[in-house]
Amino acid sequence: MSTRTPEMLFVDAAQDPWRPLGDDAVPSAHALLTLAQWSTRRDSWPTSVPVGVILGNAVDVETLADELPRWSMVALQFPKWTDGRAYSQARLLRARLRYTGQIRATGEVLVDMQPLLQRSGFDAALMRADQSVDVARRALRFFAGHYQGDLLQPLPRFARAEACTP
Amino acid sequence: MYSYSAFDRQFVRARAAQFRDQLQRHLSGQLSEDEFRPLRLQNGWYVQRHAPMLRVAVPYGELSSRQLRQLAWIARRFDRGYGHFTTRQNLQFNWIPLHQAADALDALAEVDMHGIQTSGNCVRNITTDALAGIADDEVVDPRPYCEILRQWSALHPEFAFLPRKFKIALTGAAEDRAAIGWHDIGLQLVKNHAGEVGFRVFVGGGMGRTPIVGTLVSSFVPWAQILVFIEAILRVYNRYGRRDNLYKARIKILVKAEGERFVAAVQREFHAILERDAAGAEHLIPPSELERVARHFEPPAVVLAHATQADDGSMAEAGAPQAFRRWLERNVHPHRVRGHRAVTLSLKRAGQAPGDATADQMDAAAELADRFSQRELRVTHDQNLLLPWVRTSDLRALWEAAREAGFATPTIGLLTDLIACPGGDFCGLANARSIPIAAAIRERFDDFDRLYDIGDIDLHISGCINSCGHHHSGHIGILGVDKDGAEWYQVTIGGSDGSTLSGAATPGKVIGPSFAADEVPDAVEALIDTYELHRIAGERFIDTVRRVGVAAFRAAADARRRATAQTEAAA
Repeated sequence: MSTRTPEMLFVDAAQDPWRPLGDDAVPSAHALLTLAQWSTRRDSWPTSVPVGVILGNAVDVETLADELPRWSMVALQFPKWTDGRAYSQARLLRARLRYTGQIRATGEVLVDMQPLLQRSGFDAALMRADQSVDVARRALRFFAGHYQGDLLQPLPRFARAEACTP
Repeated sequence: MYSYSAFDRQFVRARAAQFRDQLQRHLSGQLSEDEFRPLRLQNGWYVQRHAPMLRVAVPYGELSSRQLRQLAWIARRFDRGYGHFTTRQNLQFNWIPLHQAADALDALAEVDMHGIQTSGNCVRNITTDALAGIADDEVVDPRPYCEILRQWSALHPEFAFLPRKFKIALTGAAEDRAAIGWHDIGLQLVKNHAGEVGFRVFVGGGMGRTPIVGTLVSSFVPWAQILVFIEAILRVYNRYGRRDNLYKARIKILVKAEGERFVAAVQREFHAILERDAAGAEHLIPPSELERVARHFEPPAVVLAHATQADDGSMAEAGAPQAFRRWLERNVHPHRVRGHRAVTLSLKRAGQAPGDATADQMDAAAELADRFSQRELRVTHDQNLLLPWVRTSDLRALWEAAREAGFATPTIGLLTDLIACPGGDFCGLANARSIPIAAAIRERFDDFDRLYDIGDIDLHISGCINSCGHHHSGHIGILGVDKDGAEWYQVTIGGSDGSTLSGAATPGKVIGPSFAADEVPDAVEALIDTYELHRIAGERFIDTVRRVGVAAFRAAADARRRATAQTEAAA
């Protein structure tokens, strides 16, 4: 079973419905396409069949604004966990492009990234196989709040009422 | 100075608890060294030559006597009884065992301190003018903006894994005492014709292998928009900065490669945030927030109450000892509040590395701050401490007490007030040692009359190309290099940090092949001799170098080479 805490979905690979689409396969629910696959099949893909797209971390998501409403899921990639480009992609997808589908972290995804992922707009993580969901959940609980606004709390602390209290 | 709110306090404690959890997982084998490293770095923990090093953030250099006493306590309890103040206004401990790392962070949190983002590829501790809020040439006090930036950059979720480290420096004075041209972002507070406050924004300065001075990206960003503007810069950098080559990953390389396109991309991103993003405009700073933070930086009431008293211009009464008069000349600085001065406590003295302070010396400095400076100190870019609120009438008593405690070396701004990184004695990155070179130069120039005759000069020593000792910006720069496992030193001249004295920020020029360690004091002396030979009345070293040119200096230094080095120079 996949579990949520409270907005983060930790994907269990064995139960995950999303599957890469074979090059000749017919459209099927929860197919995960590369951007190249999507560009050749977008016109024929039935709107009723949920589709996800996996994006490289150098992709300029702002060029995809017209596609986003058709995608149920966007998988962003961390080729190395210290390569932070996908945080900016997620943030742009949510705050600028108003994307409301799932944004999933894939690649080298580790427990200690969870607070950053969640605050940047990710709501799902397919962690590396050796990572513990319990530790990941714990990692999300250390901070009661932050200074700057983010995708969980859009207002910076100085724009919130409680900032007036000492 | 800024005092923590309950929120600030629990935030730092939460960070310490989070680190303890990570450390425990590492020590129990659940978290590999490779995966622990970025986490510990972002809490200030390096592993260097002998033991972990903890870099403690001193936000924009402001330190209370209570905090300094706790640093002394930590030095005794966990370290070997001393610490090292850095050019970025931080403090480093060198000997804390890793298994005590979380305990040390808890001890720091007790006095509202931490090591957050003092290392790693993130926004580092923000630095500023050590005379912020007290300088007589100040246009706008930068500290409220420093604090707002500190809060905004602390654990920013999008910018924790940038291509490379990211350093921001601010100044609000006519004179740049924060070397802003050498930072990833340099911010200069200015007022426009309407008297409104804003920032001149420079981007892409940095030292290292490719020294580059920052490019002016905007000549006026209204103060309320500065967080959004910096967000735009960081987002462009996070997306497009190079990640394929460690040596080309700093923002300076992106700015250099893209030029005007970089500036245009930042402007586009800035407008997109404000005009298109959900809650994009929420990071415009409201006047109420600036006022709230600025209240923390008002001068102490007792200082203002004392300001009505007549300033004793002469200070040194007739017959005062020469040592006192020298100290007044070099270590005491003008102040914007009448009847007050800022006083540098020198951390450059025999037998100790530049910037080092023992636990006893930290306690002694805290005591001086209690007695003479409203319990407040500053850490300076030149690796000294500074007392910001000293009454002119207390100067004689302070001098005597500072002398007693070993802080009164009257050489601020002179040759032996040099900057040096910890170098190969401690640092795992260093190619060569810095401390023995600093000591040898200090011994060679131990005569005050000679030092005063040489006058204002910046000598900077780095043990490797990472440039922590800012050798590029020294009038004389010394860089440790490794040749076949031996320590050699490349010497540059004519560098500038961007101050009025030094001229526009620029890297120094290399004068020939590297020198052997024991040749360095001779080479430095040759440079000084050349200056004395060529100078015209009132001319400082850096001006003579610019007027006469590098060749004469190089020839003089080459003449002091011995053995293999001389052969090489001739080749």
